[in-house]
Parts: sequence; structure tokens; C-alpha cells
Amino acid sequence: MISNRFTRRRLLGALGAAGALAVLPRCKSQTGGSAGGGGRVKIGLVVPQAGVYAPLGTDMKRAWDLWLELHGGKLGKLDVTTVVADEGESPQSGVPAVQKLLQNDQVDVLVGLVNSAVALGAKDMVKEAKKLLIVTNAGAGAITGAARNPYIWRTSFTNAQISSVMGTHMAKLGSASPAYILAPDYAAGSEVLAGFKKTFVDGGGQIAGEVKTPFGKTQDYQPFIAGIKSSGAKAAFCFFSGAEAVAFVKQYAQFGLAAEIPLYASGFLTEGSVLTAQADAALGIQTTLHYSTELDNPANKSFIEAYRGKYSATPTVFSVQTWDAASVLHRALATATALDGDSLSKALEGVGTIDDSPRGPWSFDGQSPKQRIYLRKVEKHGTDYVNTVVTDLGVFAQVS
Amino acid sequence: MPAWLDTHLVSLLNGLAIGSLLYILAVGLSLVFGMMDVLNLAHGVLFLAGAELAWAVAGESPSWPGFLAALALAAVIGGAAGLGLSLGTERLARRSHLDQALFTLGVALVIADGLSAAFGDDVHAVNPPPGLAGSLLVLGKAYPTYRLVLIAVGLVLAVVTSRVMERTSVGALIRATVADREMVAAAGVDERKVKLIVFAVGSALATVAGVLGAPIYGARPGLDNTVLILSLVVVVIGGLGSVRGAFFGALVIGQIESLGRALLSDLASFLLFGALALVLIVRPRGMRS
Amino acid sequence: MKLLWLLVPLLVVAGAAPFVVDTYTTTTLTRILVFALLAKSLDLLVGTTGLPSLGHGAYFGAGAYAAGWLSIHVTASAPAALGVAVATGAIVAAVAGSVAVRARGVFFLMLTLAIGEVVQQLAESWGDVTGGSNGLYGIPALQLGEPLISVRSLYLLVLAVAAAGIAAASVVAASPFGDTLRGIRDNEPRMRALGYRVYPYKLAAFVFAGALAGLAGGLIAAQQRLVTPADLGYGTSVPALLAVIIGGEATLLGPCAGAAVVVLIRDALGPSLGGHGGLVLGLVFVSVVFILPGGLARAGRRRP
Repeated sequence: MISNRFTRRRLLGALGAAGALAVLPRCKSQTGGSAGGGGRVKIGLVVPQAGVYAPLGTDMKRAWDLWLELHGGKLGKLDVTTVVADEGESPQSGVPAVQKLLQNDQVDVLVGLVNSAVALGAKDMVKEAKKLLIVTNAGAGAITGAARNPYIWRTSFTNAQISSVMGTHMAKLGSASPAYILAPDYAAGSEVLAGFKKTFVDGGGQIAGEVKTPFGKTQDYQPFIAGIKSSGAKAAFCFFSGAEAVAFVKQYAQFGLAAEIPLYASGFLTEGSVLTAQADAALGIQTTLHYSTELDNPANKSFIEAYRGKYSATPTVFSVQTWDAASVLHRALATATALDGDSLSKALEGVGTIDDSPRGPWSFDGQSPKQRIYLRKVEKHGTDYVNTVVTDLGVFAQVS
Repeated sequence: MPAWLDTHLVSLLNGLAIGSLLYILAVGLSLVFGMMDVLNLAHGVLFLAGAELAWAVAGESPSWPGFLAALALAAVIGGAAGLGLSLGTERLARRSHLDQALFTLGVALVIADGLSAAFGDDVHAVNPPPGLAGSLLVLGKAYPTYRLVLIAVGLVLAVVTSRVMERTSVGALIRATVADREMVAAAGVDERKVKLIVFAVGSALATVAGVLGAPIYGARPGLDNTVLILSLVVVVIGGLGSVRGAFFGALVIGQIESLGRALLSDLASFLLFGALALVLIVRPRGMRS
Repeated sequence: MKLLWLLVPLLVVAGAAPFVVDTYTTTTLTRILVFALLAKSLDLLVGTTGLPSLGHGAYFGAGAYAAGWLSIHVTASAPAALGVAVATGAIVAAVAGSVAVRARGVFFLMLTLAIGEVVQQLAESWGDVTGGSNGLYGIPALQLGEPLISVRSLYLLVLAVAAAGIAAASVVAASPFGDTLRGIRDNEPRMRALGYRVYPYKLAAFVFAGALAGLAGGLIAAQQRLVTPADLGYGTSVPALLAVIIGGEATLLGPCAGAAVVVLIRDALGPSLGGHGGLVLGLVFVSVVFILPGGLARAGRRRP
């Protein structure tokens, strides 16, 4: 009995001590004021470090670090301190991460965000704090559309922007109609399909069928592949990213459809590490995206060389989007008078064309990129799978 | 071939494949629950552990030695985990069944986070072993070879477990314990040894199921929850403590997940849980009891 | 009685906290208070009535969605939003409970788990109302006269509401109704033999617990300004149950202490462990089950 009590008391004491230790450092009074006075700027990089989007977060952080390394650790003329926070997989982790950067670390500028839900969930917080947020991936149209505020800018894309271009292209082909379309059942998937349908149908295309797969829960796509087969479609258009892209593409080939019904998609289906995992199953898939590693311009060549040299890995569109965020901030900080959201937002308005981007020249239009969209095809060069650029489909502004 | 079968043959086959996997996974859970009234909430993480093991040991493109090594390792690790869980729940045997279930819940949390720490949070894809990566034509439809093999494995295991239960003394002991635990103890049998064996074997099967399922489901955080709930539904619908019941339940749930999703999409989830709720209310010990 | 002497200074300290600590800690304390209310409501089921629920997050989330939806589309007035949250939690609990309380013990556990999953699935599918997997974002700050934008004022509101909710749960647990529930927990057949109709009592407890959980949900909607399907499911229900068990079921403040432990480990300790707060939480939980049965609140007491 006595030994039991000692064990209990000790455990209780240990728990109490741990709790106190966790709380003590927090007992300081709030220090107001900006953190970036006199030659320094504090950037909060919020990217996924755990969960299904972790590989994207790695690409983004790498590009960020690389840019700073190649420019002496400065943006504009200011020395940069980067604080990284884990966006996680969902707004449940992402929004508190943004909150922590704003309230706890008192950053001057926020950069990052893969998940649109996090961006939308945090927008009010960013507005109330009057700090600049540069979104380097999240593609929901509302972020710079219906739900926009002057403090949120984007260097990536909108979901509908990418898919609507494919819609026009497939309608023009003639041989890709009727088309079966599918995407996961969440906001991004819905936006992609809506953007595609509009231009495809307007261009004379016919939809053979449409399905939204349970998001994040589907590992077995056979039921949906069966649906495509029985619909009489001549082509399929889809949007999947990450693990879902790997599973879908592999199963599409396994169940024999890759040979019969050509697959088209938004570029994320075959971007980055997923392409390596898909291997032969991805050959011949055509996608639209605002970037490819095969783009033939000097900025892209030197970017890829530097990235490969430092990380022994090939960059992806997520790296480019973050690289451009650094580039854009550098230009803004060179002319801005202060670090608060209003001044930086004003500076961004005057930034003009970004002509040294790996994706080709682009500019802001309504706080989101107006850029070239390329048609790409998966091919094998030696032992590598790449998205070769078939053609340049034109310059497009954001589409909501 | 009738038109309906022509359209849905692949989905039906798929249902069998998923059902096979679910059977291997759920049979252990069913026996443990039926024998000891212990709800092993750690059953899902054992599957995930097997899947991650497959990725770590066999790699993304496994060779046969690699894949077989992963299977063997999974059986050993799963068995050891089962032993640990059995000993833990044994210590709590004098307390309520809820405490035992909660203990397994705590263990599940620890293992789940441990897996995340050890293998990272990325989704890991595993290809089938060489020779099984292609498709075969079944009645004119292409179907992945690996899944056909999985159906065969499941059937063999079902036959083996059924034989063990019906024809061996261990099987008789297990069936007796499910039927009337106190009587077996009164007959002088050390039921703890039987419990230990069943828990260990059941857990080993769950981990092996994870390896076998890796080429289909991959390995990802969150898979443990999904799979736990599926196996709970299988066990409840099939009946606790019954090998035949687990087989029946697995086939039903396999078809709901496959054919059901093809026909009903999102509603399939509601169907699944609706079935669970209905059975729990009407016949708490399962449909076949 | 001597616990009441502890409560007054506790409330004073809690009330003074936001004036002493920084904004981020105040936010953490706000989340602890909300979670404490949730845990206390779950304890009414687990500790007092003996119904172990693994799906309590469903009513928490339902209240959160209701409060959020009202704030966005109709009015952000605090009494209205919180009132709707309570009502929604109660209604969903009534519907679910009418089915769930027919089962007992581990079967009840499984059933509540399944119900929780169904409700989460519903939140993800019913995109028009709930925003689907994006969640309900852009929830405006609650208004009590004027909008409560500052972290400090929100904390004080949450403190007042949570304290009231916890007090209500404690009063109910200590009342004759609570005595009946404990009787059902300890020996249901005997209660039936004594002439009690057990089903309405269990259902009433379930609905009351659901209502309080809904209230906690309304508070989290105001704090996060965002509600997602994850707030409804396993990821909320399991930590709630952990909080009750770690703190001590069927004690006055045990569940609240447990809630503090869970939130601190997950949110404060977790990030510095590389996001592996779950490991520590699981270990703490298993230790409690083995070494400290009855939770932290009963730790110092002698065995009878």
C-alpha cells in the first residue's frame, strides 16, 4: 500500500511539474510594437511539415531557403529572420499555426499555405492584424476573389484558372468529347470541375458523367473507374493531388483504362514526387499547369541547376511559387516605407511584371498571378519521367 | 453474361478482394471480443504498423524476398504486440471491460504516434511484388492480378481457420470459452493461456493484413482509424467470437465498400453505419448469434 | 465543502489571468476553458451515468456549426449564437441518444463511435450549409453590445459561460436526478426492480450532456472563427474521453483538470516534440489507467 502511494504521489508531482514548466515561460507581459525595426524583417513561413501535404511543404521551404542563400539572406535591404510553423493537414492545425506566428512570434509578413481551407480560415485574423500574407499555393478562387482583403496576395494560381484552360483545349480537340470528369469531394475539387465544365461546354464539349470521390478517404478507385468505363466517354478529365493522384493514376492503368480512354488533368496529377511513384502508369497523360521543369528559359535553367546543386532533388511548381514569393517580397521591400500590411500591399501594387521567374514572365492581376498556362505531356527521358511542354496555351488571369 | 453482371463484375470482384482483406484483419478482433469481452481498440494501428513495415522493409517496389520478409516480420511483431496487449488487459481483468478497452485505446494512441515518429507522416505507396503487378482478364474484364491473389489468400485462410476451430482441441477450447467462460474455467482449463494465444495470433493476423493490404491501401496516418471502424462493423454484423461470422461480415462489408460505393457513392458510408447501429440495437451480439 | 473555498480564489486567478499573461497564453487558456466544459459534460455520461461515449464530439461540433452559421448569416449576438448552439446540441443528442442509450457498456461505446462518424460524414457532405471539408470560415466575432474582438474580452466571456456550464453540470450531478443516474450506473437491474423507468433517465442525461457540449461548441466557434468537420469526429471525441479519465470521472473538477492536461500536452508541448504530443498523451493515459485508477482527482486519497 505504501509503495503504491509513493508511485502515485510521484506521478502526480511529475505531472504537476511538467505542467508548470510548460506554462511558466508564458508568464510575460505583452510587448507591443513592431518586431522588424531597423534593418531586419521577420517572416513567418507556414508550410505543412507533417501529414499528406508534407512533401509540398518541403519543396516550398527549400525554395525559400535557396532564394535567401543566393541573395545574402536579405529581402530588399533587410536582413531576414524566418520563423517556420507547421500548417499541418487541415485548418484545425493550420489556423492555430498562423495565430501563433502572429501573436506569439510577432512576425511582419506571412508566407506559405498549401491548404485553401486554412487560408480562408485565417483571412480575418490576417486582416485584423494588418499584416501581409503571401499565399504560395492555396488555390481557392475566393481567397483573392469573393473573400479577398488587401492584405492577402498570391503567387500561385486559382483552381479554375488551370482547369478552364484545359476545358477550352479539350473542346477544340473534338476527339475528347464526350468527357467524364472527376475530382475529390472538397472545395478545390469542386472549383476545378466547375472551371473546366464552363469552358468545355461553352466550347461545344459534352459531359458524359461527373463524380466526386470522398476526399482523403478513398484508396480504392475501382468503383469510379468502373463508372467511367460504362459511361461511353471518349476522354476523362480529373483533378487529384498527392497520394490520391498516385493511387488513381496507378489504378487507372491497372484496370486497363489508360489504353482505352485518354486521361487529361490539372497539372497537379503528375507534379513532383507523385510522378516518380506513378512511373509507367502516368505515360501519355496530358495536363495544364503554369510551370514545368522542362520550360526552356534562362531563369528556369539556373533555378533548376541551383536547386539540384543544393538539394540533389528536382524542384516542383510548389518550389517555384515560393521562390517567386521571395522574389516579389524582395521587390516590394526595396520600395516600401514600413513593414505593416498597408505599406507592403501598396508596394506590391507597384511591382509590375516579374520577368525573372522560372515559369516565365507574369504579373499580378487582382492580387493573384496573370500568367502563361502550358499544355504538358508525361514522357520518359532516359530513366526520368518528366512533363514535357507540348505547347503554350496563352496568358490567363485568375478565374473564380 | 447478363448485362448487370457485365457492368458490375469488376466491382463484385473488388468486393471479394476487400472482403478477404477485412476477414484476415477482423477475425482476430472477433475472437478476442467474443472470448474476453475485450474491445481491442488497438487493432487498427496494428494494420497500419503492418503497412508501414511493408514500405520500410520491402520498399516501394518490393522483391519477393523483401515482401515475404515483411510478412514474416509483421507476424512476429504483431504477435508480440498481441502478447503485450493480452498481458495488459489481464492485469485489468478485475476491473471493468471499459477500463480494458480504454487501455487498448491508450496503447493505440502511443503506437500510432510512434509509427508517425518512426516512418513520417507522408503517404507511402507500395507496389505489388514482381509478377503480380499486372492485370488478368476475368470474363473479358481487366482486373489487377494482385487482388485476385488476395482473394485466394483470404479463402485459404478462411478454410484453415475454420478447420482449426472445428477440428482441433484448441479450436474447441476457443469455441467453448466464447460460449461459456466460467464453465471452461470450472473445468480446470487455464483460460489465460488460450486468451494469450488468441490475442497473439489475432494481432499477428491484423499486422499481416496490413502488409497484404499495402499494395492497395498504402500506408498513411489516419488509415488506422478507418480500418478500425471497418473491422468493428464487420465484427458486430458478423457476430462476436465466430470465425464464420467474421467471414460473413467481411464479405458483406467488402461488397458495401465496393459495389455500394460504385452505386451509391457517399451514401455507402451511411449504409455502413446504419447497418452497425441497427445490428447493435436489435441484436447486440451480432447477426449470427 | 472545502472545495468551495478553493473555487473562489481559482475564479479570481482565472479572471485576472488575461491581464497578466501574453495574448498567446490567453488564447490557450480560452481553449482550455472550452475543453473543460466539454469534458465536464461528457463526465455526466461517463462518470455519473456509466455511459462511456466515444462520439461526444458530434454534439460539440453540431453546436459549433449552428453558432457559426447563425453568426455569419443572421446575427452575431452572443446570447443568440450560444443559445442556438445549446439547442442544436440538445436536439442532435436527443435524436442520437434515442437510439444509443438502448445499448450498454462496450456496445454503447461502439454505437456512439459510429454515430460520431456519421455526423462527421454529414458535415463533410452537406457542403451548402457546413462548407464541406473547407469548413465554415469567416465567422465574425461574437457581439455582447459591441464586437468582442480582443482576445482578452473573448476570454472573459468564455470564462463566464464555461464556469456557468460547469456549475450547472455539477449541480445536476449532485441533485436527486444525479443520484438516480448513479444508481443506474451502479446497478441498472436493481433500479428497474425498484420501479424506475431507466430509458428516460438515460436519455435525459444524454440530452443534457449534449446541450452542454453544444454550448462548448458555440464557444469554440467564437474562439477559432472557423468550424471544420474535424471538430465533430474522433479527433475531438477521443481527447474528451481522455480528459475525463485522466482527470477523474465523477469528480467535481477532475474532468476540467484533465482537459487542461490534454490541451497543454497537445497544443503547448506537442509542437516542441515535433508534433508528437499524441505519444505523451497516450503514455499519460495508460499510466493513469494502470497506476492512478480514478484519475488525478483521486490521486491523493487512500484506498478504502
